[in-house]
Amino acid sequence: MQIIEALLLLSFLAVLFRLFYGPSPWDRLLSYNAASNRLIGLLALLAVMAGKEFYLDMIIVYAAVSFLGVLVIARFMERGELHR
Amino acid sequence: MIGMILIGIGVGFVLIGTVGILRFRDLYSRLQASGVSDNAGVGLILLGLIVYDGLGPVDLTLGLLLALLVITNPLVTHAIAKSAFVNRHTGREE
Repeated sequence: MQIIEALLLLSFLAVLFRLFYGPSPWDRLLSYNAASNRLIGLLALLAVMAGKEFYLDMIIVYAAVSFLGVLVIARFMERGELHR
Repeated sequence: MIGMILIGIGVGFVLIGTVGILRFRDLYSRLQASGVSDNAGVGLILLGLIVYDGLGPVDLTLGLLLALLVITNPLVTHAIAKSAFVNRHTGREE
């Protein structure tokens, strides 16, 4: 079971590499969304495996806030004001 | 046991998506790798957790999280792709 959590954490760190060295701003946004997805999966796995199910409420709030943040940044970059 | 198999398949999808994000050379290819495999991977992990945990009130919370992710993940992918396409980003000009 712990090897699955280790693989998810490794995947999360590997996606953060694209977040730091992405060529364009959209690459960074895409990899932030991917890292957020991996973090949601990892936290849900940890919450159910450790028996602390009240963590799932915080994961739902994190998923909603992350979705709103990425959507707002994408729509803001559509106007060309953050475009380099 | 079935839950463990589903979680394993989901982690496999997530790892394939990670390789796609790191190795593809185009923004839209990376978007496709991320948008397809993340949705399938995290969805399968949550489905496997629902099966693994047994019947209980936790299943409703996990189902709500699964529905939220399945609805919002394609929206985010489409918003990023539209934002890059409107700004005439070809992905190969670096």
